[in-house]
Amino acid sequence: MSEAKIQTGPLVDPHGETRDDCAVIALKNVTREYAGHGSTVRALADATFSIVAGEWVAITGPSGSGKSTLVNLIGCLDRPTAGQLKIDNVDVASMTATELDRFRADKIGFIFQQFHLIPYLSAIENVMLAQYFHSMTDEAEARAALVRVGLGERVSHLPSELSGGEQQRVCIARALINNPPILLADEPTGNLDAANQTIVAELLQDLHRNGHTIVMVTHDPEMAGLAQRRIALSHGKVFCHPVGGPMVTLRR
Amino acid sequence: MFFRLLMESFRRQRRRKMLAGVAILLGTTAVTAMLALATTIGDRIHKELAVYGANIVVYPKADLLDVKVGGVDVKPASGGVYLKESDLEKLKTIFWANNITGVSPELPLQLTATRQEDGRLFPARTVGYWFDHDFGTLKTGAQALHPWWRLQGTWPLVHSRDVVVGATLAKQMELKIGDSFRLQGMAGNAGQPISLTANIVGIVTTGDGTDSEILLSLQDAQLFAGANDAVRRVEVSARTKPEDAFARVDPDSLPPKQREIWYCRPYANSIAYQIREAIPGAQAEQVRRVEQSEGNVLKRISGLMWLISAAALLAAGFAVSAAMATAILERRGEIGLMRSLGASKGSIALLFYAEAGLLAVLAGTMGYLLGSGLAAWLGARIFAGDGGAAEAVLIPVLLPVVVALALVVAIAGSTPSIRAALRMEPSAILRADA
Repeated sequence: MSEAKIQTGPLVDPHGETRDDCAVIALKNVTREYAGHGSTVRALADATFSIVAGEWVAITGPSGSGKSTLVNLIGCLDRPTAGQLKIDNVDVASMTATELDRFRADKIGFIFQQFHLIPYLSAIENVMLAQYFHSMTDEAEARAALVRVGLGERVSHLPSELSGGEQQRVCIARALINNPPILLADEPTGNLDAANQTIVAELLQDLHRNGHTIVMVTHDPEMAGLAQRRIALSHGKVFCHPVGGPMVTLRR
Repeated sequence: MFFRLLMESFRRQRRRKMLAGVAILLGTTAVTAMLALATTIGDRIHKELAVYGANIVVYPKADLLDVKVGGVDVKPASGGVYLKESDLEKLKTIFWANNITGVSPELPLQLTATRQEDGRLFPARTVGYWFDHDFGTLKTGAQALHPWWRLQGTWPLVHSRDVVVGATLAKQMELKIGDSFRLQGMAGNAGQPISLTANIVGIVTTGDGTDSEILLSLQDAQLFAGANDAVRRVEVSARTKPEDAFARVDPDSLPPKQREIWYCRPYANSIAYQIREAIPGAQAEQVRRVEQSEGNVLKRISGLMWLISAAALLAAGFAVSAAMATAILERRGEIGLMRSLGASKGSIALLFYAEAGLLAVLAGTMGYLLGSGLAAWLGARIFAGDGGAAEAVLIPVLLPVVVALALVVAIAGSTPSIRAALRMEPSAILRADA
């Protein structure tokens, strides 16, 4: 794959018009610095890009490139040192920690590489945990979410009684349960065998077809290839690549 | 979901929870035992110090008057002024009557004794006492007020003409149990000679002047004195509140309200005051030495108990802190996940504090029960010697106090770990866990 460097800038539609208004995620000169021992480490520098609703974007880059920092910022687990970060048209940089917790519960569904299921809770209880921290638990809804990911028969099983692929599907059901506008998947197939990778990839494709916005961090070129667009990171800088026919073009 | 998470944390981290629970249990056990002992120690110390004798002594008011002629005290040694034995019944009517634990009237006489065997004469200081006398609900008398007296034989019965001889006198005069002698004296002010044959039924060792005396029943002594109903001095043992500054004020100088408060507190002074009111012509005073010892001992023991309690709770707090730190570290993945699901720091802290609180309530309640048992055992060991039976020391009002202390310890011990856990970045936790 060619690494043609594209200048980052405001998002435009195929007709060349700015699409920031319909962006579900919009970063403008976002910088994140961490205080080190007597020095400052710039983990993300001046990142500017947008992701529109319903888009599937892959974030790629080597270790230490700033992927985690970017995921933390988009996932509202962290706030930028400088710049503007809008999620669903709300500037999260100015939010208090409590507001950010609430906002995260409403807007982001996390899918983790290591699934992060609570081992002593059954599949359905793990899904209901997300409901509990969002609003209130609803067993029927949680069951429906598991049926949707093909685990209707495994609702009462503990994570230890499920395969890796099944655990990841529970994780996806948990991410979906509160109907967040953004699914943030961090290496969703990184811990799965080929068969389960396919199942999870198909599930994500299905979710994308149904209009979910997916931001996916991956090292896997095949998974990255499923996305509509790739955002590459290197040394804290953002490089955007259209992959497989972008829905939007970037102003050069 | 909250209770599910709470219960599962206990089920899954049984060892960690048990460690923290045992720390709280030991701390609250020590505190309960100390508090239970501290609340009952007043009675116990009083019982203990009762071996040092009465804490109030009553004598005729006339003894306070100086009878001097040309600067020489001409008041007779034994006075001739008596209290009435029948007036002692009035002790049962005073405000703090129930606090009186022993009464012992005395009637001393100077008599002459003649040994039956060889007709040998010897001066005999003789004192009439109650022995095992029924006084309301009390069984009291000389031996009750002088528990350190060691008797060989039996105490004399009323009107039995039996006597007990002090050990020193018995040795000097070569008297033994079963011997008899004649006691002679001049009865009453009229000075009529009176004598009776006395049988020795016991020899007593007292460690004081009583070792050189002859002890007989008060009724027999009254016969010699020619004064029925007469007593010269009364020793009273009462449960009292340790003396403080308020105890020492003159009640008659106080405004009525304050005087009433003073009167209704069981100070030795106020009990003595009430005795003076109840018995005509009586002067009652506290025996300051015993009262002060009681107050000092109580103050020191209470201080020591508070120190032990504080140390036990501090140690429990550190142990809880260590156990909770490990328990929370093991669950950092859960914390990271919960934070990513939108859980606020407050809701996560609430979950951990609820765990600590539940642990505190369980361990605190068990500590209360164990501590009460320990207090009973310690009470029996310390205050009653090896053979002492353990008295139940279950003080219900201590339960909420002990559980509250357990909660403070558990919450204070958990706080550093919980704060540290909440400071961790969820993304860092989730990635570190990966």
